[in-house]
Order: sequence, then structure tokens, then C-alpha cells
Amino acid sequence: MSSSVLQTVAQSAINVLLVLLLSPLLEGGVRKLVALVHSRIGPPVYQPYLDLLKLMSKEEIVSSSDGLFRYSPMICLALVLAAAVLTPIGAAPPMQMSGDAITFVYLITFSSVMIMMSGISSASPYGVIGSAREMMMILMVEPVMLIALITLGVKSGSMQFSDMMTYQAGQGPALSTVIAAVALFLSLIAQMARLPFDIVEADQEIMEGPFVEQSGTKLAFFKWAFYAKELIFAALFVSLFIPRPVFAGYGLNLLFGLLKMAVVLLLVGVVHVVNPRLRIDQAVRYFGVLIFVALIGLTFALVGA
Amino acid sequence: MTGFFIALMFYLTGAVLAWLFSSKRRWVGSITLAAHLLAALSLADVVIAAFRRGTVTMEYPLWTIAGIHAELFFKIDPLSALFLAIIALVAILVPLYGRGYMKMPEYDEYNLAGFYPVLSLFFVGVCCVVAAADLFFFFIFWEIMTLCSYGLVVFEKKDREKGRAGLKYFIITHIATALMFIAAMILYRESGSFSFQGQSDAMTSLLATRPYLLHLVLLFFFIGFATKAGILPMGDWLPGAYAAAPTPATAAFAGSMTKLGVYGILRIFVDLLPISASTQIWGAIIAVFGTISIFIGTLTALVQDDGKKLLSFHVIGQMGYMFLSIGIGIYFLPVQPLLALAGLCAGIFHLINNVCYKSCLFFNAGSVYWKVKTFNINLVGGLARLLPITAMWTLLASFAIAGLPPLNGFASKWLIYQTAIAGSNIAPLFMLLAVFALFISAVTLASFIKFSTALFYGKYADHGSGAQTGEVPPGMQLSQGLLVAACIGLGLFPLWPLHWISQAVSGLLPSAFLPPASALAGEQTLHGMALRWGAGLTAAWNPLSLLLVFILCFALVYGLYRLTKPVRRVETTWYCGEEQADDQVRYQAHSYYLAFKQLFTLQVGRYQRPGVYPTIHYPKIVFSDTGRLKKLLDLDHWFYHPLADTFQKMAYRFSATHSGIPHVYLLWLLLGAVSAVVLLFVLK
Repeated sequence: MSSSVLQTVAQSAINVLLVLLLSPLLEGGVRKLVALVHSRIGPPVYQPYLDLLKLMSKEEIVSSSDGLFRYSPMICLALVLAAAVLTPIGAAPPMQMSGDAITFVYLITFSSVMIMMSGISSASPYGVIGSAREMMMILMVEPVMLIALITLGVKSGSMQFSDMMTYQAGQGPALSTVIAAVALFLSLIAQMARLPFDIVEADQEIMEGPFVEQSGTKLAFFKWAFYAKELIFAALFVSLFIPRPVFAGYGLNLLFGLLKMAVVLLLVGVVHVVNPRLRIDQAVRYFGVLIFVALIGLTFALVGA
Repeated sequence: MTGFFIALMFYLTGAVLAWLFSSKRRWVGSITLAAHLLAALSLADVVIAAFRRGTVTMEYPLWTIAGIHAELFFKIDPLSALFLAIIALVAILVPLYGRGYMKMPEYDEYNLAGFYPVLSLFFVGVCCVVAAADLFFFFIFWEIMTLCSYGLVVFEKKDREKGRAGLKYFIITHIATALMFIAAMILYRESGSFSFQGQSDAMTSLLATRPYLLHLVLLFFFIGFATKAGILPMGDWLPGAYAAAPTPATAAFAGSMTKLGVYGILRIFVDLLPISASTQIWGAIIAVFGTISIFIGTLTALVQDDGKKLLSFHVIGQMGYMFLSIGIGIYFLPVQPLLALAGLCAGIFHLINNVCYKSCLFFNAGSVYWKVKTFNINLVGGLARLLPITAMWTLLASFAIAGLPPLNGFASKWLIYQTAIAGSNIAPLFMLLAVFALFISAVTLASFIKFSTALFYGKYADHGSGAQTGEVPPGMQLSQGLLVAACIGLGLFPLWPLHWISQAVSGLLPSAFLPPASALAGEQTLHGMALRWGAGLTAAWNPLSLLLVFILCFALVYGLYRLTKPVRRVETTWYCGEEQADDQVRYQAHSYYLAFKQLFTLQVGRYQRPGVYPTIHYPKIVFSDTGRLKKLLDLDHWFYHPLADTFQKMAYRFSATHSGIPHVYLLWLLLGAVSAVVLLFVLK
């Protein structure tokens, strides 16, 4: 009993630290890719670390005395890190429980709510507009994600990530799971706030929306939460839909997992660099269609395809 | 059982005292509060006894109406006890809040005798409805409850709009009650008894002989209770009536009366209806109607700009979640008892959670009204600096209703989704309903982000009321704080309430029909779907361990923050470097989510209306031959005016005799005397 608890704690710590320390590197890789497509040399791969360090050394300009404004960046990052404990990164997630897929989605939603709260409590209209957009994106993206996860849940007979992974590793892809994979991938781009869906920040338009008034360490935390989310979602996608090859050891699994995640982020980066930003109403309609696509996948799963 | 009657006595005494002292505006609220507190204490005795012993009954009925065999008989089983506990708590919080709220100068012109005594009587009705074991008296108490609530809805008589909302409520609920009474009469004809047992027997015999009649009866009951619960389309009365009632009364409705619709559904479809194939049909119907309410109610709430209307439409949506879950539970009663238990428990758990956060949100809206005198969330903003603590309560209650972990709304929604998904391998319909529910859960979040942030954050605006800093009175604070504490507690320890709920549900059915609650804790695989609720402290979705993880992560992040030794500099918000009027840089609640709202805009040709809420516009009655009919209906034209003209002419003629010359008056006197003498002779 105690050894299993110890293992859980150790693996949780690994997950959290992995997400915290490795995610800027992946972001740097994507930036490098974008620069390559632009025919630029681009910043070094470790640039995001420098960005974070620089932001953390800056003074903190506060425009709202509200506690929500003060603590939302920390809560946001902490929630993303807590979600990392539920995420399968390379191996089955360290903390497993019934229906953790639903819990995971709601934790991520909560972290987005904290972003909104930061934007709205700053009393800047840009912040409020960005927050309202963030909510609209959640409204449309969350159902796609949940339907994709439920599709897998129906196939594997459980709403638990570990069961889904076991099922996917054992069985080959089915029609419904392929549709779910496509739907999940397309919703991931929005969750990672990549073009064409970086409508929430839209720097040229509403000047980083919810973060317009944040600065210093807190802005760094928000950025970091975004990098962390990128890694978490890539890991989730890889573990659930590209489970093979499965190795015996944890280390090897993790290594291959990171490799596959890099490939997924590469794809996301390519989509990011060749697409212009959509307007929010276009994005809402786009995901409206995607919900129906995901529902078709779910229907296939229910009839056994 | 004595505890129950003592509680009723306290409520009634409270009503009488509040009526006698209604002119003492400072004391009347406290009197009611004291009475309700004492009543709650005596109800606690009954509730505990009911859970410990299974059922608490009377030895003989209080009163029997000989002609129709209707007996005034109370029986408190664990389900009734559960509802009594909720009611007793709401009954304490409402006057606690009202004590401060009803002292607003707006209410100075109204006599509080129309509020507190009616409120106490309302709770008498609610308690008796839950405890009655005879359908005839059930309807009598139901009617007492409805009439009292009507009185509370139209309390602010001066407002015509509110009177109209009250009338709509009165008419719709009475049609519903009439239908239910017809249903009870049909069953009475079959068995000759109004007692629950007799009605249940009648259902059994109807099921064997005339099932179509039974379905008619069930339809009437369903319409009746769904109307009270605010399930669409019958629940159309709800937003108007809720918005019209004074806020403490609205919270009382949301906390007790609306929930009795669910109680009625449970009583009829789980307790009285014998388990058969027809149970399944009705389970599916209840779930589908629930989902319709979730969808339409919540999407309509999203476009509301009136805070109280917004909350009222959410009542419809939230009742939908309960109906969905309970419908699933009823559907699985004959085929899969474990899922039935899960569905019913999840539904009732959601009901309890809903009482906590919905009443709290109505209190929040009331507190804002108390401060700035408007419910329109477009007109205010940034109130967190005036009401910092209320802002916190509102935010937490909003998170709870939106289902963010670790609050109670998430705990029960999680159970509902899990049950629906687990049941979808047997009945794929429930998967569709679950997807709707999941989608609308996000809409609920959006709606409450709008509600709480438009009121409390963003640019400051107080609707010109010039409100001063300073929180609402402590009583109003306390009632909100207690409800929020309940939201957190129920969210962190979901298995504790579920234990009592499962006992209440099992008490409705033959013993050992449903598996014990512990069966949900272990590993269960039903038709290929796993269902595990866990056991002990780390039950259900593991709230405590996840909370621990979150706290550790937060500590890590906060440590990192301290490590950077941040230097703070206070600046004003940046508005592109220009001097701006407040209204120019304030983002109104109405402007939230425009693109999303557009998605649900109904457009047929040139006709366009936002939202999905169906509203019927009655055409005006126009007659083709207007001239003659108008004349006929116009009494002035052919009756009053000619009559008045004639009288006026006669009066003018008569006044001509009044010339002002003394001789003429003498002449009139003489003529009068002569004519009198002549008349005397003639008449003789």
C-alpha cells in the first residue's frame, strides 16, 4: 500500500515538474518552426525560458486592488499543474479515479475562468472583450472535447483515462475513434490558443485581451500556464490516440511520448503559421459544425463502429 | 411525530404574532425568524427519527371526512424527512435575510402583514405537503402553499406588471392542480380511497385492466408536478412570478416550493406507481422534458439583462437537470436497479445542491438591489468595491452552479453525467441527453460569469444611486455565507449526503429492491460500462485528494512568486491614454457573447428574434363590421348619453321657474296650494 502511494506521489511530482520545466522548450521549438516557415532564423529554442525569467524580474504594475486580479494568475497556473496530475504523460496518469476525464476537462475550464476573471477584474474593456471571447471559445470547444472523450469512453467502457489508454493500446483504431481523434485535434488548436483560434489574445486587435493589465511575474505565470496547457493537451492526445508503441519501462515510454508530442505540436505549429486569425463569430460557427462531426463519431461508437 | 405538530404550531404562532405586530417593522422579522428557528429545532427531531427508524407515522388520522374517506393523516418517511430538513433550513434563512431586506425604504408603503405571516403560512403548507399521506389533504395543503405563494408574488401591489405575472402564475398552477385532482379522482373511483396506499392499489389494478387510463392519470400528475417545478413548456409562469416576488420570497420559492415538483414526481412515479414497463416510458418522458428545460431555459437565461429574470430562467434549467437524472433513475427501475439508484441519488443530490446555490444567488441579487436599487445588470458594474464580501459569495455561488470543482454543483453534475453515460449502452437516448446537459453546463458557466462579473467587476457604475461604501446588514451576509459554506461542504464530502439520499430513495421501494449505497462504491461493470463512485473520504471524483494536489501546486507557484521578490507599483487602468467618460469604457453585460447569441437567433425570412424561448403573441381581435358592433358595445353612445341629455334638458326647463323675483315665487306657492287642494278632492 505505502509503496503504491509513494509511487503515485513520485509520479505526480514528475508530471508536475515535467509540465512546469519542459513546456517552455516545446514552445521554443514551435517558435523555431514558425521562423523557419517565415524564412527567418528565429529566436533560440530556449527563448521562452528567457522570456519568463525576464518577466519575473520586472516590476509589477497593479491597476486593480481586487484580490481576484492579484491571485488569478497563480490559481490559473496551479490549476493547470493540478490537471497535470490527471494527465497521462507517457504512462498512465499518476492519479486515477472514476470519470477523471470529466474532472480533467472541468479543471482546465476552471483555469480558463481564472484568465477571464483576471481580464474582467482589471476593468479594462479590452480585458472584458477578451474574457467574453474566451468564454465563447469554451462554450464551443469544451463540448467537442468532451464528446471526443465520451466517444472513447463508450468504446472502452469507462470514463477513466487509464482504461481508455489500455483499450486504445489493445485495439486498433476504429471509425468512431478516428473521428474523435480528428475532432479532439482540431479542438486542441483552440485550447492551445494557436492561430487560427488565438482570438482571445489577438495581440494586434485587442492587445492580449485578458492579460492587457497584467505584468511582471503574473504575466509570466499566465504565459507559463499556456505553455503548460500546450504540453498537457499534446500529451493527452498522444496517450489516448497514438498509444503505440508501448514499452515495458516508464522511462522509455516517457521518451517516446515526448517525441510523439513534439510531432503533434509540430502539426499544430504548421496549422498556426499558415492560417490567418478567424473572427470570433466565424470560430463559433466552425466549432458548431465540429460539434456535429464529433456527435457523428459518438453515434458510430454507440452502434459499435 | 409530535415534533412535526410542534413545528407547525411554531409556524402558525409565528404567523399570528407577526400579523399582530406587523406595524412594528423592526421586530416583525425577528419574531418570524425566532418562530422558524424553533420550528426547525422541533422538525430536526422528526427528521432524525425518520432516518433512524425508517418511517414516523401517526397512530390514527387526525380527521376523517366520512363521505369520501379522506383522512388527515401524516406519515414521514426518509424522503419526506429529507425534504423537511431542506425546508426547515430555508425557512430559517429567508426571514434572516428578509429582516434586513424588508427594511428598505421601498417597502415602507407596504404593510408587512402581507409578507411575514404569509411566509410562515407558506411554510406550513410546504411542510404539510411533504408529510401528508393522503392525496385529498395533499391537495388542500398544496393549495394553501400555492395561495400563500401567490400572495407573496403580488406583495408589491402598486406595480401592475407584477400583478399580471401573479395572475398568470395563479391561473397556470390552478389548471395544473385541477388536472392532478382529476387524476386523483380517477384513482379514487377505482379504489375508494385517497390514501397513498389506496391510490397505489388503484394504479396496480388499472395497470392490469385499463392501462390507457393509468397513462392518462400519470400524464395529469406529470403535468401538475412539472408545472410547479417550472419544467417547460408548463413552467412559463416561473420567470415572471419569481421576478415579481420580493427577493426573500423568491429565494423561499427556489429553495422549497419549486423543489416540491420533484418531490411529487418521486412520490408518484417511484413510490406509488408499481414497477412495470410503463415506469420505463415515463422515466424516458421525464428525462426528455428535463433536457428540453435545460436547453431552452439556460439558453434563454443567457440573453437576460435583468438579474432576477436571469436567475429565474436558470431555475428552469436547473430543474431540468434534476428531471433528467431522476428520469434516468425511473427508467432503469425495472431493468437495472443499480443505475436506478445512481440516477435517483444524483437527481436528489443536485436538488439539495441547487437549494444551496440558487437561494444564495437570489440573496446576492437582492443584496445588489439593496445597494443600488436596480436588478438590471447593464446599469451597474464594479460593485466589488462597495460590496466586497457579497461579491465573494456571488462568485462562489456562481462557480457552484456552473459546476466548477470542488464545489457541490460539480459533484452532482459529475454523478449525473456518469450515470447517463453508463446507462447509454442500454438506452442510447440518454447519451444524447447527456451531451445536451454537458453543453448547457458550459452555457451556465457563461451566464454566471456574465452575471457575477458584470455586477461586481469591470468599470464602476452604480446606476446613479450614489450608493455609499458599506456592506449589507450582517443578517443578509450571514444567510449568504451559510449557503456558500454548504456549497463548499457538500462539494468536498459528496458521499455523506449521498448516504442519506440513498436511504431516502430505498425507503420508497420494496425493501432490498435497490442495492445498498455501498454497491456504488465498488467496481461495477454494467453492460460494458464501468461505474465506480469510490468509498470513504476519497469518494466520487476524489475531491479531497485533488484539493490537496491543488493546494500543493498553489504553494509551489506562490513560493515561486515570492522568490521573484516582486516590486509593486499602483497605476490606473490603461484606456489608450485618453480621458474617457465612464460609460464609454464600460463593457455592458448585454454585450457579452454576442457571436454566440447570434448562433441561437431564430430567423425565418425577415422575421427574426433572438433566443430560443418561444413566446406567443396573441393577435388582436378585430371585427370586420366594426361600426355597428362598436355602437352596440358602446353603452355611452346609445344609453348613458341620451339619458343624461334628457335629464339635463329637464333640469334646465325646471330651473327656468327659478327666476329670482319674489312675486313669481308667491304665485308658485299659490298655484301649489290650489293644486294640492284640488288633488285632495279628486283623490277622495
